[in-house]
Amino acid sequence: MYPPQFKYLRASNLKEALEIMNSHDDVTVLAGGQSLLPLLKLRMIAPSELLDLNFVNELKYIKYEEEVLKIGAMVTHKNIYENKLIKEFVPVLSETAHNIGDLQIRNRGTIGGSIMEADPHADYLPTLMALDAKVKLKSLNGERVVPVEDFVIGPFQTSIEKGELLTEVIVPKNNYKFLIEKYARRKGDFALALLVLMADLSDNIINDFRIAVGSQDPKPIRLREIEEIVKGKKVEDIDVDNLALKLKERLNPLQDIHGSSEYRKYLTTALFKKMVIKLFEKEIKKEES
Amino acid sequence: MVKINLKVNGKSYTHEVADNLLLIDYIRDVIGLKGTHRGCDTGHCGACTVLMNGEPVKSCQILAAQADGSEITTVEGLEQDGKLSLEQQAFIDNHAVQCGFCTPGFLMMTHYLITNINHEMSDEEIKDYIHGNYCTCTGYKPIINAIKDAQKRYFELKKKDIPK
Repeated sequence: MYPPQFKYLRASNLKEALEIMNSHDDVTVLAGGQSLLPLLKLRMIAPSELLDLNFVNELKYIKYEEEVLKIGAMVTHKNIYENKLIKEFVPVLSETAHNIGDLQIRNRGTIGGSIMEADPHADYLPTLMALDAKVKLKSLNGERVVPVEDFVIGPFQTSIEKGELLTEVIVPKNNYKFLIEKYARRKGDFALALLVLMADLSDNIINDFRIAVGSQDPKPIRLREIEEIVKGKKVEDIDVDNLALKLKERLNPLQDIHGSSEYRKYLTTALFKKMVIKLFEKEIKKEES
Repeated sequence: MVKINLKVNGKSYTHEVADNLLLIDYIRDVIGLKGTHRGCDTGHCGACTVLMNGEPVKSCQILAAQADGSEITTVEGLEQDGKLSLEQQAFIDNHAVQCGFCTPGFLMMTHYLITNINHEMSDEEIKDYIHGNYCTCTGYKPIINAIKDAQKRYFELKKKDIPK
């Protein structure tokens, strides 16, 4: 399969990229290309121009400043997995990156590209939502910072405006205990069920709790009402079955040939129960021993 | 058209290529190296795996224009002076080849692994590394054995080289 005809544009720095984004009408940004090229080949999209950001080295940084990680949009999944700062300050993001695709894909795919694609099945979104991460959008007229949760508005849709480029992902430091469950038929496939649970525990008390669920219609969700029930409680007072019921009511999974909505609801709920038990029971055992 | 300069298996090339030309088509049709195979063409099977600046990538998911300035290694770059590389010999000795279609991709992955992983890999680790390469003949067991064997041979070779 060949991609459709398009004009290939290359930016060698950010200023050039922003100028092109500002003055061209039908231009699609090429980041890692690991989803974009298959979409082009399948004729799901056919932009008249592609703007390649791979030569913009200004977007390939990972910095840690004032308890916040700043990740350039063109950092690859492999670098996110291997980076020492990310492993130390936001380990949940490192593990999320490792769950994506396979080694070849992680070598090319980028965090900025993945967020911009806003695929509701994809790995990063629930983790970034649970982390209260934000994205920085730049244009010739200035910049704005938007929480990932608001930035993604639906399947393959974001609130980016004409002339804007996603340049940075901003992730607050987070060393909560966490669990990621990604259920897929084959390793590296998109998830049938995807959950991220994070908890800040001290002396058996849950100070903070976060849950985000992926593969949902129209986009991954952060379940704050469940978080509120759990927050401040003692670990032994957690009613897993009740939480699971509340979760199930809120689920609205995407369905396709890989699994019906009903099956995915069941799967997500079952995984959730298993995760809550694992996340909290371990802590109880530690206290006892 | 886009002008690109790159190295393939150590040799420099300069070409004017179509904007939408894929790296795999550049390697196969412009340079004429047919060892890199087009399998699924959707980024799943890994038959088109080549090394780009030393890292394994799927050449059906990259534009030739994006490879400008990079160093590409294909399966043809493994043998030296007409002699099979140790990865290739390990694949033959472990019967890790049946129809052979996926083999170039696996060989490139093996080359990357043995030259980059500095500890003895377990079966589980190898499975994790190669899940972007599909083989529908062997059932993977002989391939995993071949990768382990290649790593052993590579370690032995390095040990031999060090005292010299």
